[in-house]
Amino acid sequence: MIEVAPMFARARIPYGTWGSSFFPAWQTTALAEVNIGQFAGEAMNRIMGIRKIPTSVLDYLIIGSTVPWHWKFWTAPLVASCLGRRIPGYHMELACATGLQTIISAAAEVQTGANDVVGVLTFDRTSDSPVGVFPERRSYERTVALSDVWDNFGFDPATGRAMLACAGLAARKHKTDRREVDEVAFYRYEQYFRAKDSGILDRVLVPLDLLNIQGRHLGRIDSDAGIRQLTLDGLRAMPELDTCVTAGTQTHASDGMATLLVTNQEKARELSPRPEIDIQLVAKAEVRTLPSLMPEAPALAVQKLLSRTGLTMHDMVVVKNHNPFAVNDVIFAKLLEYDWKKMNTTGCPLVWGHPQGPTLTRVTIEALEEAVSLGGGYVLIFGCAAGDIGIAAIFKVNDGGNQR
Amino acid sequence: MKSLRQPTLETLGLGTVLEIFKRGQMPATAGDLVDQIFGESGNRGAMVISGANGIVGAGKTMQLGSRLLPYGVTIIGLDFPGASDGIGDQYQGLRASFGQEKADKIMANVIRMNYDGRQLPSELKGFRPCFLLEAIPEILDIKKAHYGIFRETFPAVEIRSVTSGFPSSELGVGIAHPAFPHQINKMWEIVEPSPSPATQLFWALGMVPTPVSDHWSFVLDVLFCGLTLAGLRYHRASNMPFWKIDKFVRKLIGPNPFRAHDAIGAKGANFLTWSCLHDLSEKYGALFTPTPELDERKESGQNWYPLNHFRPLVDWSLDDDDDADFQSWILGPVIQMTSLMLREKRSHLSHINAIGELCAQFRQGILAYIRGLGADSAIKKVESYHTLHPDAAGCGWYPDVFSQIEGQEWQQLYVNAEHDGNVGVITIGRESYNSDVDAEVNRAIDWLLSDGIDRVIVTGDFHLASQMVGADTSEFFPALSEAEKGLQISRTWSRTARRFESEFKVSVGFINGKRCLGGFLELFMHCHYLVATEGCALGMPEVTLPVVPGMEGCHWPFRKARSEDWPKLLNLLLTGKPVNAGDAVGWLVDFAGSMEDSLQTTWKIAAEGDRGPIQRRKVTEETLSGIPTEVSLPDANNPAIDAARKAIMDCIRESCNSSLAEALDVQARHTAGFMSSRLCQKGVIGAACAKIMDV
Repeated sequence: MIEVAPMFARARIPYGTWGSSFFPAWQTTALAEVNIGQFAGEAMNRIMGIRKIPTSVLDYLIIGSTVPWHWKFWTAPLVASCLGRRIPGYHMELACATGLQTIISAAAEVQTGANDVVGVLTFDRTSDSPVGVFPERRSYERTVALSDVWDNFGFDPATGRAMLACAGLAARKHKTDRREVDEVAFYRYEQYFRAKDSGILDRVLVPLDLLNIQGRHLGRIDSDAGIRQLTLDGLRAMPELDTCVTAGTQTHASDGMATLLVTNQEKARELSPRPEIDIQLVAKAEVRTLPSLMPEAPALAVQKLLSRTGLTMHDMVVVKNHNPFAVNDVIFAKLLEYDWKKMNTTGCPLVWGHPQGPTLTRVTIEALEEAVSLGGGYVLIFGCAAGDIGIAAIFKVNDGGNQR
Repeated sequence: MKSLRQPTLETLGLGTVLEIFKRGQMPATAGDLVDQIFGESGNRGAMVISGANGIVGAGKTMQLGSRLLPYGVTIIGLDFPGASDGIGDQYQGLRASFGQEKADKIMANVIRMNYDGRQLPSELKGFRPCFLLEAIPEILDIKKAHYGIFRETFPAVEIRSVTSGFPSSELGVGIAHPAFPHQINKMWEIVEPSPSPATQLFWALGMVPTPVSDHWSFVLDVLFCGLTLAGLRYHRASNMPFWKIDKFVRKLIGPNPFRAHDAIGAKGANFLTWSCLHDLSEKYGALFTPTPELDERKESGQNWYPLNHFRPLVDWSLDDDDDADFQSWILGPVIQMTSLMLREKRSHLSHINAIGELCAQFRQGILAYIRGLGADSAIKKVESYHTLHPDAAGCGWYPDVFSQIEGQEWQQLYVNAEHDGNVGVITIGRESYNSDVDAEVNRAIDWLLSDGIDRVIVTGDFHLASQMVGADTSEFFPALSEAEKGLQISRTWSRTARRFESEFKVSVGFINGKRCLGGFLELFMHCHYLVATEGCALGMPEVTLPVVPGMEGCHWPFRKARSEDWPKLLNLLLTGKPVNAGDAVGWLVDFAGSMEDSLQTTWKIAAEGDRGPIQRRKVTEETLSGIPTEVSLPDANNPAIDAARKAIMDCIRESCNSSLAEALDVQARHTAGFMSSRLCQKGVIGAACAKIMDV
């Protein structure tokens, strides 16, 4: 393994202290009925309990979410109270890149010595998303009402375009082949179901029981509800919504949370059930491509990242991304000359949905778990956001003697 | 005179239960003791309660005010001018309990006075304070200064502190530490060199003083605060939220300590728990060290349960391994703390056992629980706890105390027996009947019989049990899903009850107190004679739960009553409404009268049997014919009660239609069958079971 000096040399992600809820499709489960900030806090507490991590070790909490939730003004300290610890923290947000950006920010907290054990907690409930009423005196409507999730998907105020249009635009620019896009989507579903059967996801995803206001059972969140078993023929028969984009080759809205810890090496060893495993954030990159070409932005971010670190795609043991459109993966494979079949082997957001805030956190956790199962190595995580943003990061997993 | 173990009454300086019957009168009366403490009528002094607007002070002002009103003792409620009106807040509850007229009288007898903490109001002298019950904040220096002010002005005043933690040796006064809720809980932990008239007065007024030794935090707070600390430690180890720990603790042993703090008032209760544990940790070490969560809440006064708008969303469960850990974290420290209290001989074992039950919601007394586990298992629980919390291993752990577990003090926590070589008395110190009581009653019977005693009085203990409310329905939880369990309970308990009829030459049930209901009434009615004090309510409320009476209540009283009285028994069983003992003479009880008449009659019957004042009502062994099939009853307007009436009626018919030898099994089958029915599962017991056990 080529050695690259990590950008946050002090920061570590303790193996096995993470977890994510399942991501049920929006409006399909009891998750549609909860205050997601409260749920996320309580779920993180439960996950840490299952992982045998006393939350009393936490110094700080960085939360990430994108859909407004009731009492969000009170931000991370309130969520921390819901998880049972009165610790400080803050909220950060970068559209669908939130899940990775929070991890990077947590690593910075540890690197600077500001805090020793930082919780990363990302969450969103796209179901029943709030409707905001914005007085806009200079607009001819005077007042604009926005249904948060759908208006965000449908309208980038900087360009006036929907995200779906971005996918079509990028597909046309890169002359993607509809047949290849369908094949990618079909393969991604196969990967997900294979991973599910293999049991690797059981080390990431935690079933959670929800209670109603009377304290009685409301529902159990124990599957990525809403995922259909697609066929290639079925995908091919789907009508195009824009170039190379069909209902089957794009993600869906979902609800969920994901959490992990970032700490220093000593504490990571103390907290992890496998202290010999060492996980570091090596580097990150962000780019902003031309307006509305979002699906190509992650590839550009990865190119920038590789160029800075001197690493190549061949150095990566796990490659995983947030791919709201299958077009993303086709463009990435083309620009990086990388076989898309080697990516996303345990599933990806194209299949299990798109709750925004926690999406890239779950991607990262799954990827790190996979890297450990492969004996360690570099892990490349990347994704797109907000019409033209690409974000990428490389993690190094050293399993203490069994590395590739 | 011999006794199986020391009667708890003796710890109050009131002798034995047998002596009460022999003398034919109670060992002390409230009137005499009031005269002794407050002076004779016409020249009565007052009781002062300082801190009277606080939670404890206001509650005790009501409790003592209502009890002392008939004796003309004025209550002075003393507090700071700025204190909120805690006494006034009690009025609605008082009115609900006593009606407006009496509530008004009680309140009129409470004189409220303000003082500045430095000088007593000059008007106080006019009321001639004879007794000060101090209920001011738990700060040692302030308390001592308070006593100083009183003693300076009223040198003869008798002082008791309600402190929950400071020993008497630190305070310089005696202690009367009451249990929550203060308006109604009758328990007091008493610390004094020897039983005083004040303590005996509390007893004579119908309360339950329990002497404890002069150690930090006595018994109740070691148990309650200790259990809270156990929950806090489990929280730190597992992250489980407090509300869920409460549910698992309640399922395991009964209390829900965090809810209790919120109910009492978290601000004060958090401080008291912290203060108790802090003091104990200073004395005994890490076993009692408060956790940072308690340190924080002591300062903030924050509730343990989430606010209503944050009612919990994510549920928690325990797998087998988690459950084993949970039990070690919870039971380990509580058993260890109990070993410490036993080592220090903090109280009579029955008191230690009862205090947890009567004041801290333990389903079973802590000693009965440990006895059920067995010494080895209890010790293993503590050792397992020490592997999780090694700091606790080095202090306050005395496993040797459990070597006494087979001794009579341990084996007879609820039931005692005494005899004078001729007449024995079995005393029951638990208000509801459970398997522990059942086993102890059997051991008491065995002991008397082995000493050749064939005349017995069965009674409450005149101390820890002031009424008999029937079966402990939590015992029925397993029977809701498994009829065999119900069958076993019904058969076992009925066989115990029959021993009073079959194994003694003379047996007399003696019932006093407010009421005797359900299972206890069934137990007592098996005695050859039944004596009750006038005004005592006797009832079979099973139909309202609903259950079918399980200790032969559906046929035994019919076998002893004349057929013309059977409709009264049917009414008793099918409506659930109690009857006054005085109205039940001849068909349910054999004598009802004043306390003294009842005691004397009981003793005469026990000593003389059928040669005595009452003729024994024989038990018909053959089948009974002519049990009414149609009974006119007020409409219940409740399908569940209608169905329960039918089930009870079916049981009455079939068990009465059997011979005495067969009837026990017939009754048990009906009881068990009904208990596992949907109707019972949906009833009061089923709901309680679901609430407590379905966590």
